[in-house]
Amino acid sequence: MNIFTLALVEFKKIKRSKILLILIAATVILWLPNILNADLNFDMNDIGISPENSFFIQGFMGMTWFIYPAVMVVTTVILVQTERTNHGILKMLALPVSTPLLCFAKFIVLAVTAAAFILFMTAGYYIAAAAAGALNDYSFILAPGYVLPFAGKLYLASLPMLTVFWLIAVCISTPIFSVGVGLVSIVSSVLINNTEVWFLYPMGYPFYLIMSEYGEVAENIGKSSLDLIPWIPVAALISLICLLISCLYFGRAERR
Amino acid sequence: MSFRLECKKIRRTGLTAAFIAGSIIAAALPVINTAARPDTFTSMAGSPAAVLTDANLQLISMLNLLLVTAGACILYHIEYADNGLQKMQSLPVRESGLFTGKCGILLPFVLVMFLFEAASLCFCGWHWLDAGKEELIEMLQTLGFTLLLTLPAAIIALVISSACRNMWTTLGIGVLCIFTATMLPTDNFIFSLFPYVLPFQILPGMETTRVIHYCIAAVCETGIACAAEFIYLKVRRLFA
Repeated sequence: MNIFTLALVEFKKIKRSKILLILIAATVILWLPNILNADLNFDMNDIGISPENSFFIQGFMGMTWFIYPAVMVVTTVILVQTERTNHGILKMLALPVSTPLLCFAKFIVLAVTAAAFILFMTAGYYIAAAAAGALNDYSFILAPGYVLPFAGKLYLASLPMLTVFWLIAVCISTPIFSVGVGLVSIVSSVLINNTEVWFLYPMGYPFYLIMSEYGEVAENIGKSSLDLIPWIPVAALISLICLLISCLYFGRAERR
Repeated sequence: MSFRLECKKIRRTGLTAAFIAGSIIAAALPVINTAARPDTFTSMAGSPAAVLTDANLQLISMLNLLLVTAGACILYHIEYADNGLQKMQSLPVRESGLFTGKCGILLPFVLVMFLFEAASLCFCGWHWLDAGKEELIEMLQTLGFTLLLTLPAAIIALVISSACRNMWTTLGIGVLCIFTATMLPTDNFIFSLFPYVLPFQILPGMETTRVIHYCIAAVCETGIACAAEFIYLKVRRLFA
């Protein structure tokens, strides 16, 4: 079986997991308060940001700091636990399929879920901006030429984080620890983003990206520099190492 | 009997280690925060309890909620995985006894978590902010208040996890609830009664009537959650 067939099989497995429901609920919970409080975006004079930019940044900030990583942790739990219940993983490992490939197929599912979430968020943004605009008689909608590339960048910046979560889920077979480590690592990302070595901590990348964008569009917010040079190589290295270890380690606990 | 059985069940889940590790992380937070920039805190006005809780309690409460949610997931996951629950249901004991047993496991863990955090906050107050005996007692009162307000969230997490067969549904709902808590406006009293928002309330500087309202609300919500669970179990049994 090639990687596409494997990935299709993995998608079938999570078809009834209600993950889409969780993603949609998160989108609604995120944008609803933003629509209702959209008028707050008008008194941002001391920060020096236009209302439409403020609306966009506030919403995406709310998403990246907690719910996006948290939903990804939940997805890793889905991917791992659907196999563990009723020992499905043993049947998969008995098939003549290479285990690293199997692990990679599961990671693809995780990455696609992340893409779906960012897509929902962007779609939710446009709906919310239109609704808030109708409520306040003001156009909150930003040009798709700005929003879509930014969402794409956000997705790329979050890939290293996904590899780390996947590594945690594969290597720590006790569920409480894999969930706990994932969730706790989200909370500490805010602290590490304030230090010089933020680029060593993948869980903070998406939020750092948003913060640096915030510094760009707002005049009176301190600019946090986004130097690509230590960041991109380090991020690529971390993702590669995490993927490699998780692919090699996958199924080891079951094969013993 | 139920409680001892529960203790045995969690032996190999790593729950104890997870809670102790989480408590240590949560307790390390104020120490690192204060040690990194002691001058900022010593120059702030207000009692040591107010200064320290203002700076740290939000993150600590967040960690507490995450730990409680994950812990509640595991407590029922061990029943649902491999159909342990069916065996429990066939025993000549009430099904609600299982829930009480799980509460009896989770609540002491929450208490331990708060003991760690109290120790660390008191240490910060004593070491950097010259807190005397009275100020330390204020600190303990603050944490006791937060502990009381965390109870509804803990019980509700258990109720959710007893109702969901899959661990990710529980975890997903818990994560969504915590997220809702961070999204709700903080100045509205009605919204702040949402069980997952309650732990973010800070005692120093709050009016006495409001404190009493919060305490009553926390006790009521805990009671309602327990009652809802008992009724739910009866109904589920009827239609099983």
